Amino acid sequence: MEWFIDKWQVIDSLSPFLMKGLWLTFKVSMVSIILGSILGSVLGIVKTLKWSIPRALVGGYVHLFRGTPYLVQIYIIYFVLPSLDVTWLKFDSYTAAIVSLSLYTASYVTAIVESAIRAVPRGQEEAARSCGMSKAQALYHIILPQAFKLTVPPMASIYVIVIKSTAVLSVIGISELTRQGETAILRMPGDTMFIYLLIAILYFVYCYPMLKFAGWAESKVKANGGNAVL
Amino acid sequence: MPITETQEKDPLENSDAPMVRIENVSRRFSIDGGKTSVMALKNVSNQIGRGEVVVIIGPSGSGKSTLLRTLNGLEGIDEGNIVIDGVDICSKTTCMNTLRTEVGMVFQHFNLFENKTCLENIVLPQTVVLKRQRQEAEEVARKLLERVGIPDRENNYPRQLSGGQQQRVAIARALAMKPKMMLFDEATSALDPETVSGVLDLMKQLAREGMTMAVVTHEMGFAREVADRVIFMDQGEVVEEGEPDAFFDSPRSDRAQRFLEQII
Ligand SMILES: Nc1ncnc2c1ncn2[C@@H]1O[C@H](COP(=O)(O)OP(=O)(O)OP(=O)(O)O)[C@@H](O)[C@H]1O
Ligand SMILES: [Mg+2]
Repeated sequence: MEWFIDKWQVIDSLSPFLMKGLWLTFKVSMVSIILGSILGSVLGIVKTLKWSIPRALVGGYVHLFRGTPYLVQIYIIYFVLPSLDVTWLKFDSYTAAIVSLSLYTASYVTAIVESAIRAVPRGQEEAARSCGMSKAQALYHIILPQAFKLTVPPMASIYVIVIKSTAVLSVIGISELTRQGETAILRMPGDTMFIYLLIAILYFVYCYPMLKFAGWAESKVKANGGNAVL
Repeated sequence: MPITETQEKDPLENSDAPMVRIENVSRRFSIDGGKTSVMALKNVSNQIGRGEVVVIIGPSGSGKSTLLRTLNGLEGIDEGNIVIDGVDICSKTTCMNTLRTEVGMVFQHFNLFENKTCLENIVLPQTVVLKRQRQEAEEVARKLLERVGIPDRENNYPRQLSGGQQQRVAIARALAMKPKMMLFDEATSALDPETVSGVLDLMKQLAREGMTMAVVTHEMGFAREVADRVIFMDQGEVVEEGEPDAFFDSPRSDRAQRFLEQII
């Protein structure tokens, strides 16, 4: 009983800080997910077009960002780029967080969108073009709506990875959930394990619905032979 | 009841000129990463008259689909020239999107838009491409669905229909654009035997109504009955052509003889 009271006091005194951290984690991850998804969708479409130079550039970007740890990316964007002495590359920590996380998200979204577009049978585009639709009309009315459904399950898994990656932002001084937890541990070193447990629970509470949704969406897409009516 | 509305004749249109003129067309595909290539079409020349029904037959890989697909620009050509209703489709100034509304195409695997209902499949190209009002487009679509024999399935998605029904919708979708001619690439090859005849009947009816048609098919009975002319292709070339009865009863070339022996 005494243990519970003791821990309850820890929770009670830390919860404003942890909640603030969770809120910041939520904001940073949501903004990055939205910006990254928009950028990634555009780049994913570019990757399926015939323009060879933009396609190669996007391909290089995807390999670069997917092939390196996010921690290294944030270091480069926050610590290395400013030393180049270019004004618009001097980010404050919040901007650096959003920029790096959006680029990281977009690199995955690009790959997902590209493969989803390629998964739509060729005949769909051929039929649309045969009716006289332009490439853009065929994409907009026929191909993207079908590809979009295929992106939902993998997209949700990527979003979970992005949310968890925000923990890395503590290294550039963003007081998101992990950073708040670490600060709390400095104040209450006796409860290190318990505080990490609290942090883990909060991440889980944020990510779990997303994982559930991914699973549900996947079963939906499978049940309809790749053409879910979501 | 006719499937197509009688087209108004343009008084300036030279009705003696053929609908399609194919001149020395070649098409090469590079395979295994450009190391080798196949000539899918070798110096093909031909004409299709107005209202003519041409059936193209030949062994697998002989270039039948490629020839058909060059006629609406789904496949480009390397050499030669194709003129459709007086319009050079290889010219840079030709709008391929407009051309494609005038040359309807029906595919082996139907290729209905999976994310649209039957009605929407027919309405969408009209509103998007021809800029018809939605109401008018729906009227056209309903009329066509009735005439191809499935008036009661307009709100079904393609996957909820049988192959034969899907192919009828696909034909209706192409006809909604009021094409000058229709291309059929093995339109019945993916169908269950019992639904083949229904789709063939529809094609026969179109032919009777004077539609210009180029038909790739393995249905020799259809070719004999409906075709004005049969074109036999092998290895990218037009080997032989002629009236169906003459061609089927006494083919002149060895290759056509061997092909006909194999399939009968
Ligand atoms: N996109 C492509 N890329 C590479 N080769 C192709 C392509 N399309 C067709 N070919 C080749 O061109 C040749 C002619 O093909 P085509 O599809 O026109 O034949 P077909 O007469 O329609 O055959 P089938 O009766 O099997 O449909 C074949 O050798 C084929 O492999
Ligand atoms: Mg073919």
